[in-house]
Amino acid sequence: MIRMQGVTRNLGGFSLQDIDLCVEEGEFFVLMGPSGAGKTLLLELMAGLASPDSGRVNGVDDRALGFIYQDYMLFPHMDVFKNIAYGLKVRKIDKKEIRERVHGLAEELHLLHLLRRDVRTLSGGEKQRVAIARALAIRPRLLLLDEPTAALDRANRLRTQKLLRRLHSLTGATFVQVTHDFEEALSLADRVALMMDGRLIQTGPPDEILTRPASREVADFMGYRNIFSGPVRGGKMRVGNWDIQVPLQESEFAYAAIRAEDILVSRSVLDSSARNHVKGRISAVMGNSAGAEVLVDAGVELVVGITRTSLDEMGIRVGDEVILTLKVSAIRCFEH
Amino acid sequence: MGVFSVFGFALVLLIAVPLLRMLLTVDASELSRTAADSEVRSAIMLTLRASLWATLAALVMGIPLAWILARRNFPGRRVLEGIIDLPVIIPHTAAGIALLSVWGRQSFFHRVSGISVVGTEAGISLAMFFVSVPFLVNAAKSGFRMVDERYEKTARSLGAGPWKTFFSVSLPMVRKSILSGSIMMLGRGISEFGAVVILAYHPMTAPVMIFERFQNFGLKYALPVTVLLILISLVVFISLRLVEERRR
Repeated sequence: MIRMQGVTRNLGGFSLQDIDLCVEEGEFFVLMGPSGAGKTLLLELMAGLASPDSGRVNGVDDRALGFIYQDYMLFPHMDVFKNIAYGLKVRKIDKKEIRERVHGLAEELHLLHLLRRDVRTLSGGEKQRVAIARALAIRPRLLLLDEPTAALDRANRLRTQKLLRRLHSLTGATFVQVTHDFEEALSLADRVALMMDGRLIQTGPPDEILTRPASREVADFMGYRNIFSGPVRGGKMRVGNWDIQVPLQESEFAYAAIRAEDILVSRSVLDSSARNHVKGRISAVMGNSAGAEVLVDAGVELVVGITRTSLDEMGIRVGDEVILTLKVSAIRCFEH
Repeated sequence: MGVFSVFGFALVLLIAVPLLRMLLTVDASELSRTAADSEVRSAIMLTLRASLWATLAALVMGIPLAWILARRNFPGRRVLEGIIDLPVIIPHTAAGIALLSVWGRQSFFHRVSGISVVGTEAGISLAMFFVSVPFLVNAAKSGFRMVDERYEKTARSLGAGPWKTFFSVSLPMVRKSILSGSIMMLGRGISEFGAVVILAYHPMTAPVMIFERFQNFGLKYALPVTVLLILISLVVFISLRLVEERRR
């Protein structure tokens, strides 16, 4: 559907470099990366709203394309109806059909009671639904969404994710969405591309990126809370006062990334197949929505995720001595 | 904030006292006699008409230029902006002489085309246009700069071509700035004396008539025309500001 080959675009202090990307027909593709990575510019290049300095963008039919910016960009001098109808009027579609399509979409997106409202008086969620309706009115084969949930509260964000999933399966169109929230990417994407500093770092199914990050930056962005580095000798890396067994035999320099929830915490050594055990002392307990993050001093500070139930059952306090257990298979190693 | 009020009040006094003093000096019967004078009426109408033509011409030519200056980055843009601002800085008599050298009877343009704007209504409009167009172009340019370019990109993504995008999205979104700039330009045109008097002493605009009467007959004869022009300008501008306010 969209094929980008060797795309480069220089914007003074920032540049997109050597972008090679392919988005398949009907796919829900998520472009992910930190702020300033160049995601919006890449989306504009896909839409033909910006031109590459070099390279090629193929397969985008601008007559069947919808684009939704983060701030929705509703035309402030038009009411809700006129905003939704804009693309249809441009196409000189018959007035009766415009009315029918706008009303159909307004019903689908719960906007019927707002059709004559000034768009400046709408709430964030309403504005977003109007922007979606306006983009969908032209029945696009490709919908490009630039962080549509960034300005919303958590409840509205989850509602929007649900709505986007429903609209994706309903329309069968290709969706390309930009986000910096990897939880959102996990919940929506068929495939994810991770961008940093104007480059595509890794592309693949979300599970693959989550479980097999290609570099330290990717691991960091994907929420790996423990990332260590050093030489690997005989399958072991020295981390603080812990020689951890890693899935790599020899390396002059490698990274080992471990998710906080993959480290088990206990009062005594667990009887398990796990190869890595270390003794440490709890230095802090910080609550979060899942339970808590426990900081353990084992010569080096380790972040361990623990559920609220476990926290209550174990009665963990700052200063307690605990045993940390870690399976080799839970460690991601990469040499760059 | 008390200091703000004191300074603000002093500023209003500086503007209002001479105007009020002038209004109070002229009695009503003198004013109505002046208003009935066909020479005065035609001078005032000519002033308003010429300034309106200048403003309309500036709307047609100035808005596209303002859009280009706001949206495009090209070599020489700063120089172009400087040229647009120039008429505000130079003495208006100098502007009149500059115009005369291009549009006067000795000019290349006149020799080639046989057309001269000296001593015509077109000449008056041209002089007004020259000195007041920066107000409109700069107001429109600031307006376009304040509009997020992504509105235009959104319109383009929905299938609108560049013209449709300009007329249906960009232009309506800067209408307040354009209206405001137009009011400023119209006002500046009406008040113009220096450039107009050099390019077209006749037919006589109201500012030229005020000068002529003051020069030939003294303050007493210049005052009623001055007061009448001020009153008419006041009505015109308060009405336009009300329209602007209502649109807001």
